[in-house]
Amino acid sequence: MIEQKTYHETVLDAAKEVFETMIFMEIEPAAETAVDWTAHSLLGTITFKGDMEGCLGISLADSCAKTIARNMLALDPDSPVSDQEVCDAVGEVANMVMGSIKHRLQDACPDIAVSIPTVISGRELSSSLGEGTEKVAVPVCLNEEYTAVFTLLYRKKD
Amino acid sequence: MPKSLMIVDDSATMRKIIMRTVRMSGLEFDRTEEAGNGVEAIEKLKTAPVDIVLCDINMPEMSGTEMVKQARQLPNCKDTKIIMVSTESSQELIDSILADGANGYITKPFTPERFQEKLAPFMS
Repeated sequence: MIEQKTYHETVLDAAKEVFETMIFMEIEPAAETAVDWTAHSLLGTITFKGDMEGCLGISLADSCAKTIARNMLALDPDSPVSDQEVCDAVGEVANMVMGSIKHRLQDACPDIAVSIPTVISGRELSSSLGEGTEKVAVPVCLNEEYTAVFTLLYRKKD
Repeated sequence: MPKSLMIVDDSATMRKIIMRTVRMSGLEFDRTEEAGNGVEAIEKLKTAPVDIVLCDINMPEMSGTEMVKQARQLPNCKDTKIIMVSTESSQELIDSILADGANGYITKPFTPERFQEKLAPFMS
């Protein structure tokens, strides 16, 4: 059984790989208390099933999501970016981080199938999978300016 | 020699990101096409084949794996090089897709250098 601490490190390492390779933002661990859950935000989620089932979510403020979209599209910091582009970018972040997590867990969980990501917007957004679910929350600081939270909810097959 | 490229991904934003990364890699194409899923890609390839296809795997309507199989049945796509671009990274899946007719595989997240490495051999 992989320990919670290992899952935390796995999510953080996967997020670092994606943000440093394709989004060009520095990413560091942050305190969960730094997150403003009441701000208008986006939640990108992607589900998975197989040796382990659950979902990975990334929750972040609108302003952070727009910066991510601009960086991914190589746009200037003041360039307009559409809601669709922002949603696509957040969904793709969830997709790529989940892909990296899956790769890192390949030895322990070789059979994991991943869904297509979905993105919703609102306030105080969260994911839930009901009883028996383990939760790993990984708050991060991006470019020393934004805070985002990756949440891994999972159940392992017996 | 002029080359043509098709990017197949259900996310319009990811298609732009891939196009940007291809340009950053220094590779140049005289014609570029886009498709949002495998069905759309096959329809376009029937009438306007391209030299290189960059294709996602997990897409609605028709997956990238199915698209590779169908593209290989098209008489005018026999020489088309199909490179998969996906977060899926299991060796078993990669081997299966290569056996079905794909010519290469790029995992996300990717870099311009990765595109250069995988596409340059097909540019001459």
